[in-house]
Amino acid sequence: MEHWVVQIGNITVNMDTLITMWAAMLFLIVFAFISTRNLSIIPNKLQAVCESVLGFFWDLTDSMIGKDEGRKHIPLVASLFLFIVTANLMGQLPLRLIEIKHGELASPTNDINMTAAMAIIVLIYYVGAGLKKKKFKFFLHSFNPIDIIVFFVEILEMFTRPLTLALRLFGNIMAGEIFIGAMLGITAYFLPIPVMFFEVLVAFIQALVFTMLTTVYISSAVQEEH
Amino acid sequence: MAVGELAQFGAGIAIGFGAIGAGLGIGLATKGLMEGISRQPEIAGKAIGYFLVGAALAEACAIYAFIIALKLSGMIG
Repeated sequence: MEHWVVQIGNITVNMDTLITMWAAMLFLIVFAFISTRNLSIIPNKLQAVCESVLGFFWDLTDSMIGKDEGRKHIPLVASLFLFIVTANLMGQLPLRLIEIKHGELASPTNDINMTAAMAIIVLIYYVGAGLKKKKFKFFLHSFNPIDIIVFFVEILEMFTRPLTLALRLFGNIMAGEIFIGAMLGITAYFLPIPVMFFEVLVAFIQALVFTMLTTVYISSAVQEEH
Repeated sequence: MAVGELAQFGAGIAIGFGAIGAGLGIGLATKGLMEGISRQPEIAGKAIGYFLVGAALAEACAIYAFIIALKLSGMIG
């Protein structure tokens, strides 16, 4: 996977990822802005759709974290899900038609930097939420040998959890794009179409998996017993 | 054999063994889904949602192997 790389000082920027990421963000912001105009008790079509999407997130956090605590974490969970879905689905658009200097436009999530950034955001968020809720007890409940082992496992999880979150999303999306490319390379013109349907499914499932794992991590951080 | 050719060989082995585990995992998940649905057909809609998430988690292991294979064959970084 070649990227269109621009050097700004010491920082290397993948411009193609940045462009598609901003496009996804712009789409979401414009959509959210349009759908929250003229709110009314009797919802119009757009508002009804958005309310059902919000209901889905409420169900998710209510069932995983708990009713009173869970709703506080809706902003992160919902925006992660919506952004990842938009970003993944962008890969199925014919973005290759837009010429850029080097490489080609694809899903922003097929760049490991993008997914790693989101995973680190999740890490910081759930550690922060745990520290805010339980103070120092988040790391160590009491000073006995078992808890000290748990402490080290907790430290280890801080590395493995973001790593697997980032690699899972990145790998699935990139594997999908390579798969479609391979199908296009070895067979007739219309054979990639079922594969693309499968990739649309994968886009939703991977976004759901990322969001669900985020919810589970937050829930394990803020819950009293674990 | 040159090092590059051996790396190609290793890429094949990596994705092959990775696929074994993921295949077993998805097979077991499907088995559980089928048993659950045949015992209690009314939970089908809800069970499929959980099944898809579990299958995606199992499949991710094959994806890790795939990333290693790509790395070995020099397609990424």
